[in-house]
Amino acid sequence: MSECDFMRENMPLLLTESLDPARRELTHQHIERCAACSDEWAGYRETWQFLGALPEVEPPAALKTRFLASFGGNVEPIRLPKRSHKRWLAQAAAVVLVASGAFYAGHRSKPIELKEQPASLNSYSIAESRVLPARLVSPNIEGRPDIENVSFVDSNPSDPDIGLSFDITSHVTVTGRPTDKSMVRLLRYVLENKNRAASPSRSRAIDWVRTLYSRPENAEPEIAEALANVLRNDSHEGVRIKAVETLNRMPGGASADTRGALIEALKSDPNPAVRIKAVEALANLARSGATFDSATLDTLRQKAVQGDENVYVRVKAAEALSSIHP
Amino acid sequence: MKHLSDQELMRIVQAGDFSPASEIYDRYSSRIYNFAYRFLKNSEAAEDATQEVFVKMLKHANQFHGDAKLSTWLFSITANWCRDYLRKADNKTKEAEDVLVTLPAPAELSPERTLEKRENERRIQKALTALTPEQREAILLSRFQGLSYAEIAQISGCSEGAVKTRVFRAMETLKKALGGEASGGERCLNAIS
Repeated sequence: MSECDFMRENMPLLLTESLDPARRELTHQHIERCAACSDEWAGYRETWQFLGALPEVEPPAALKTRFLASFGGNVEPIRLPKRSHKRWLAQAAAVVLVASGAFYAGHRSKPIELKEQPASLNSYSIAESRVLPARLVSPNIEGRPDIENVSFVDSNPSDPDIGLSFDITSHVTVTGRPTDKSMVRLLRYVLENKNRAASPSRSRAIDWVRTLYSRPENAEPEIAEALANVLRNDSHEGVRIKAVETLNRMPGGASADTRGALIEALKSDPNPAVRIKAVEALANLARSGATFDSATLDTLRQKAVQGDENVYVRVKAAEALSSIHP
Repeated sequence: MKHLSDQELMRIVQAGDFSPASEIYDRYSSRIYNFAYRFLKNSEAAEDATQEVFVKMLKHANQFHGDAKLSTWLFSITANWCRDYLRKADNKTKEAEDVLVTLPAPAELSPERTLEKRENERRIQKALTALTPEQREAILLSRFQGLSYAEIAQISGCSEGAVKTRVFRAMETLKKALGGEASGGERCLNAIS
């Protein structure tokens, strides 16, 4: 097998980011210096991206009813293990303490990194449910961990700490302030990785982000950047609409990146509802005195007179133009 | 119930209480249905597959030991069901019968855009059809379900090396078939027609 053949076999692994760092580096170096493999790689990437045009199909709603009926629909209340609530809590606390103790013993000086572990290696029980303070989680998320069933916990509104729970071979809850770097990075990961988190998870994450990060004390440019990326890249229009609505409420004005995402959405999002939300956000910015560059102004002008554009988009584009300070 | 992990829900099912069935269904039905739908190219069969997978999950809950992710176990059951379905001679003729029939046209898209999206989907689905079932299984799990090669190997009952080869071969075929489309060029799909 020639070097090129070997490198080409690595390309699908490169696409899924499944190569170890050394081989990844080698493959990239080869692609950079070999024109034929560089073309091959571009072809792989384009094809991989194009496959994303295959839409998700929702199962018929009646299917769930059919399934539930198939076992008699006898949905009984959960029978928890026979032990008192207090005792159960005490045992759960003990598990967390033991797990934390073991964890601290092994990781006292080094923050942990959130890495995907091969599922087949670790046998774990139901009790393996970890609570980690955000300060002990590295803000650099390595690889592309497959996190599922993301949920958000803010059981005590008077306590500034929040929690982000998810399954990653075990059930993990990371707790900390909304502005803790690791918390921000985890949320960003959930928002941006459409292939790793299902659209309901992303949608719930945006709801949560809107509640938390629209407060001036929690203003986080990274969250705004993540929302801008969701607006640019997410295949689910409902998620994109939520992203632009949330961007519209972010404190501290829009960055160039946010504004760029809004303009791109206005120009080319296939869904008129997303374009409407984008132009509304731009009109709000104009009313609040934001200055726009000439490309933005051109887009707004073009939209205001574009015959085949949604009427509301045209009206809002004109409104934004009239609100812009000279 | 929503705050319980997959393993916790399965533990309840294993104790004979099926009340988490609805929650587990909500978490995974869409992924299972999409995989079966794209694998079999038949919505009716995908519905049957989805229902049977969850029924088997309840029936054979004790076979889930928690040493793999629930998603991996469910996809194993789904892939087995789909392979069995394709093995039955009668079903082969039913393939590709209704890939687009059940997809509603998004009302908010312009007719041109709707047409373009459907055409893209038709081409991708046709390209997927050109793959062997093993390659299709590997690419659907890797590209569309985001599973690792180790997980796919577990689901497909083969080595990680075999998964790597299947994904590579699948990508080679898809690249030839869709290369023109991906780059917006004019190359047609002769390779798979």
